[in-house]
Amino acid sequence: MIKLEHVCKSFGDLEVLKDISLTVEEGEKLVVIGPSGSGKSTMVRCMNFLEEPTAGQVFIDGTELTAKNKNDIVRKNIAMVFQQFNLYPHMTVLQNITLAPIKLQHMSKQDAEKIAYEYLDVVGLRDKAHVYPTTLSGGQQQRVAIARALATKQKIILFDEPTSALDPETVQEVLDVMIQLSRINITMVVVTHEMGFARQVADRILFMDHGAILEEGKPEHFFENPTNERTKAFLSKILK
Amino acid sequence: MELLSSIFSRDNVLFLLAGMRTTIVIAASTILIALFFGTILGLVRNYDHGILGKLSAVYIETFRNTPLILWILAIRFLVPIPAFYSGILSMSVFTTAIMAEVVRGGLNSINKGQFEAAYSQGFGFFQTLRFIIIPQCFKNIVPSLLSQMITTVKDTSFLWAVAIEEFTGKGMILMGRFASSTQVFILFAFMAGMYFIINFTLSSIVRRQNTKGQNLKKPVLVEA
Repeated sequence: MIKLEHVCKSFGDLEVLKDISLTVEEGEKLVVIGPSGSGKSTMVRCMNFLEEPTAGQVFIDGTELTAKNKNDIVRKNIAMVFQQFNLYPHMTVLQNITLAPIKLQHMSKQDAEKIAYEYLDVVGLRDKAHVYPTTLSGGQQQRVAIARALATKQKIILFDEPTSALDPETVQEVLDVMIQLSRINITMVVVTHEMGFARQVADRILFMDHGAILEEGKPEHFFENPTNERTKAFLSKILK
Repeated sequence: MELLSSIFSRDNVLFLLAGMRTTIVIAASTILIALFFGTILGLVRNYDHGILGKLSAVYIETFRNTPLILWILAIRFLVPIPAFYSGILSMSVFTTAIMAEVVRGGLNSINKGQFEAAYSQGFGFFQTLRFIIIPQCFKNIVPSLLSQMITTVKDTSFLWAVAIEEFTGKGMILMGRFASSTQVFILFAFMAGMYFIINFTLSSIVRRQNTKGQNLKKPVLVEA
């Protein structure tokens, strides 16, 4: 469970998050949408302290995240998938996936590789285990990044615009993997512009603008009867 | 023939070889010391925003913007250690600053996303440096590192100014003993040739590593 209490974040004079309070239940699939610059990525990055809030608190399973315990809490609970994949270019696909399990969870190389292959199967890239990430397409790299996130067996996976940097033809292969993940019992928080995906997968959708949550609800409510004017305007622009 | 054998007599060759040995030992020690401390200084300057970072910056800029020969002379006269060690010390304090900048260049070439990915997995700062940042940094800077090594080998020739008998120093002593300018010129050419051979070998490695480095960015397939 992730709980944000009155989280604010500023970069200098720029107020990016304004008093955000939010609870994400265990196993929930939460999709966050909104125009760029609305603070949605920053909010998600506060959940694993890639950004430390300027004010307010973040709780993971009831424990408050602090600068001191963040490595420990993140290591045990949260994985993340980035817009730019951020695979380690000096390591093969297999090494990318096994690094954290071996170094942080003290798994044997053998066990870690076994798990890595398991998740490479999930994302359909077993045959790429020994190549370097730069040889892969964007969609393939992102699927590796998802396998890397899964291999640490976290309860929570944060997705920060996972398909925004992809060629249109590879977006679907990544979404398909994510749809598959949505059927298992992990908590997913997904920042995305993919409305079809949001409708299909989300338990709840948040609409953010100007650093605040303007509307939230189940997909059917959200897409059929949005109440906030800005949500309506945003949806009418994006759903044509 | 007589001219050549007068220059390259057995004694003279042994004399020069001893100098070459000193050159290589000083250059190699300098490179190792500078690489070690340069890496630390580069890391500190890049990632410490406090007093240590500032001190590293001052150190680096001081040595980078002053001539090596100045430090060779200063340390020889101010630090009471034998000439040979004084040579290594002065070369090292200077080259450390240069290496630090080379390392920093490598660090800055690494995408910020690498830190974020590592942090998002729960790696701490030092673990991130060790497993993710430093390996990539060194892979990226192999060509500049090797260039600096070549420069260091050539820089050792400054040490004859403080009477350290490295290769150039030994050569100068021999030249002092020669009677004809022809002998001097031939020895000069020979010495230049020797430096060329050492450094050309090193630069061939540079070129090879360079192509390897480029391959890394292009597709590299590793068999299972």
